[in-house]
Amino acid sequence: MLSVLSYGRLVARAVLGGLSQTDGRDYSLISASYGFGKDFRKGILKKGMCYGDDACFIARHRTADVLGVADGVGGWRDYGVDPSQFSATLMRTCERLVKEGRFTPSNPVGILTSGYYELLQNKVPLLGSSTACIVVLDRRSHRLHTCNLGDSGFLVVRGGEVVHRSDEQQHYFNTPFQLSIAPPGAEGVVLSDRFGRVTSDLLNSILETAQTLRAPVSLVTDLTVPPPPPLRVLSSPEAADSSSFDVQLGDIILTASDGLFDNMPDYMILQELKKLKTTNYDSVLQTAQSIAKQAHDLAYDPNYMSPFAQFACDNGLNVRGGKPDDITVLLSIVAEYTD
Amino acid sequence: MLTLLSMFYYICLRRRSRSGTRGEALTSRRAVESGQRAVLPVSVEVDQYAKEVLDFSSHYGSENSMSYTMWNLAGIPNVYPSSGDFTQTAVFRAYGTWWEQCASAPPPFRRTPKGFHSQDYIELGFEEPVYPTAVEVLETYYPGAIVQILACSYNPFSQNPPTDVRWEVLWSGEPTKMLTPQARQFSPTIKHINFPTNLLRLEVNSSLLDYYTELDAVILRGVKERPMLALYKMPVIDISDLSDSEEELSDVGGPFRDSKHQRTGNGYFDKLPYELIQLILSHLTLPDLSRLAQSCKLLHQHCCDPLQYTQLSLQPYWGRLSDASLGHLQSRCTLLQRLNLSWTGNRGALTLTGFSSFMKACGLSLVCLELSCCHFLNEACMEVVSQTCPGLQELNLSSCDRLNSQAFTHISKLTRLRRLVLYRTKIEQTAILSILTFCIELRHLNLGSCVRIEDYDVVASMLAARCRSLCSLDLWRCRNLTDRGLAELVSGCRMLEELDLGWCPTLQSSTGCFQHLARSLPRLRKLFLTANRTVCDSDIEELAASCLSLQHLDILGTRLVSAASLKKLLQSCPQLLLLDVSFCSQIDMRVVQELSGSFPNVAIKKSFTQ
Repeated sequence: MLSVLSYGRLVARAVLGGLSQTDGRDYSLISASYGFGKDFRKGILKKGMCYGDDACFIARHRTADVLGVADGVGGWRDYGVDPSQFSATLMRTCERLVKEGRFTPSNPVGILTSGYYELLQNKVPLLGSSTACIVVLDRRSHRLHTCNLGDSGFLVVRGGEVVHRSDEQQHYFNTPFQLSIAPPGAEGVVLSDRFGRVTSDLLNSILETAQTLRAPVSLVTDLTVPPPPPLRVLSSPEAADSSSFDVQLGDIILTASDGLFDNMPDYMILQELKKLKTTNYDSVLQTAQSIAKQAHDLAYDPNYMSPFAQFACDNGLNVRGGKPDDITVLLSIVAEYTD
Repeated sequence: MLTLLSMFYYICLRRRSRSGTRGEALTSRRAVESGQRAVLPVSVEVDQYAKEVLDFSSHYGSENSMSYTMWNLAGIPNVYPSSGDFTQTAVFRAYGTWWEQCASAPPPFRRTPKGFHSQDYIELGFEEPVYPTAVEVLETYYPGAIVQILACSYNPFSQNPPTDVRWEVLWSGEPTKMLTPQARQFSPTIKHINFPTNLLRLEVNSSLLDYYTELDAVILRGVKERPMLALYKMPVIDISDLSDSEEELSDVGGPFRDSKHQRTGNGYFDKLPYELIQLILSHLTLPDLSRLAQSCKLLHQHCCDPLQYTQLSLQPYWGRLSDASLGHLQSRCTLLQRLNLSWTGNRGALTLTGFSSFMKACGLSLVCLELSCCHFLNEACMEVVSQTCPGLQELNLSSCDRLNSQAFTHISKLTRLRRLVLYRTKIEQTAILSILTFCIELRHLNLGSCVRIEDYDVVASMLAARCRSLCSLDLWRCRNLTDRGLAELVSGCRMLEELDLGWCPTLQSSTGCFQHLARSLPRLRKLFLTANRTVCDSDIEELAASCLSLQHLDILGTRLVSAASLKKLLQSCPQLLLLDVSFCSQIDMRVVQELSGSFPNVAIKKSFTQ
């Protein structure tokens, strides 16, 4: 009798243990970053994690690991504004927000919104715009929460295949959604996307945010003319696409700016990622370096049919070759949490 | 030989007998010595950064932000050892004497003790209570503002309610100014105290500084075990310590020495006219006055005369004030006109009963009531104030951020109000509108960082309609005032001399609102347009043309103002004293130096981040 009870207890515990979705262990991300700025003369002397006009951050908090990439829009240079200042400050601010715990892991858009708000609180009059992609791993629940505004993005690779990817957000060809602080008088013009990618919900949320900020907004319906320089594009943090999904040990997450995705198609990236066998930092860094270097080489190959060139051709522009651009690669692998 | 021996023996005996009487102190020393022979563990010093910022009187940043706010003082330093104006530091709201020069500043209270210089404070909680051996403050910009460091016996993270809360001054000094604004590590020699503490309070005074002081972190160094007597220097009993003791203030009504012993009376002292003795006593600080009252009947009568208590500032004694103290002072305060209870009563020291009985005793003649950072206040207290002080003209509730929004509805009963400070309070739209409806004599209104007010345009419009004699208005960080509200405000309140519109992001110069403002307010003396990125040359030129009495101007952070228009302004406004052009991209150091040379009376401020 007693042995039946004890045996039953053992069985019940085993079954329940197997049924429980998450095991008690916390997950973490082993992350490394690498990249190249477009302009060699700028050098790599900028404060770490800045590659040309791109910026990124890797932050750890008790409850989550957070990564971010921001691609500064280069068109501001023509107006005397350094585009890297905006993206770098945005990423530094988001990093600080994470380190101080002023965020919710399940709400990466909140990090972006708070970060953007903090940029406006800076005495220094910042100008510029950038795309942004934030990836948050909730340690306890093993869920990855992401948000993406613009044409940077992420890939999640499991067993050699892409299981999740971010959606690219563009108003027009080569005019991605972007977070911006515009000079006075040029606050914002919302463009409706001729490819129908701006849903009415998105448009309403942009208009609503513009209203709370009391920013002047107009709707442009004449789509025959491409938009004037980036000064005229408004995006609010709420326009970011967000998604959440579960991850497993060994999943590889690649977060990068468009400099990578426009030059390297998926199969090449997957080929490089196959070489990542272990979960220690050095091998992750090595793989990130090799991906970035390969993309960099392809960018300057005039005959290569890059994804960028392919997309341009689809839109009626006769273009061939790579796309010289700032390249930022943040490579992470999901592992168990060790302090 | 024998005498020598006997002397020697006598000396030895004396020594032994002496050691017998001072037995207790020395047995412990003997114990220590014997313990030392048995290898006592060395006390390890523990360094801690602040865990949490618990309370503060003001800050530069926005209420839900981490830029330039007081919460940055907790944790590890973000900026030190770099110097500069960075967002990751803790910055107070004001600096220098600029705010004291304004009409909205109240005159100082009499009897302020010479050693009390504090203008702002911040309280920090640390993880572990220790016996402090050092306190280090990392200042990263314009250092020199710290004037007092105090330690508290209460553990702020414990679940128990505070009992016997004692504050001990670890260090106290004069406000200073360094030669350069560079970062420094401030580590004064602190007094040793006999209780462990994990709650520190820093008090600052930036009146000598040229710009905002910025603090990065605070390190508390101490030992966990109480230092041994042998290794522990007994603090010299200071006369000033005696004068700071609690007993003096609460014992105020106590018995006085009977003059029966003295047949000769007070000598010639009592031959002096009454008014002359009153005049002499009016220079004494409050504790001295209380002590003097115990010396003889005559002086007791003088010291308890309500005429000595027309102005009463209890702010310097914030750590020692209790319900009992107020009770003792009650009988003398019937003619009280100005009362300063700022910073007092926290952690249970003052309660509704003590406060309301005091207000009932002295409220009738009260004209000015300062209740800044009084966290004991609740709705009932505000109701008491509104009932007992019908003639109140000045009310300061700055940083009473624990007061719920309902409490402010009682203020509208104080219809004679001329000065109202609601900086960093939770007042809401309906309450402020109701106050503005009834308090039509308002001259000075401070609504800085009042984040719960939904629509500032409506507030501005109400001000224009009801408060026509408004002289100064502080709308620092009001997040949704637009050109419509501003236009109504300046057309209604023609007497405005001071207007603070710093960090109001929704005012756009392109609407012409600043030019309209300049034309409508020729008497304008102070205008803050801090971080309004739209201020441009035409606005400055209009100010130069219309506001010739301008004294303080802040246009931090605009890219659109050039040196030429500033020159025009400086030429037209001879009374200009302060011009803040920090982070204005067209104005570099060379321009600032050139303008400072041509206009030496103007303090031109240009902050840097480097």
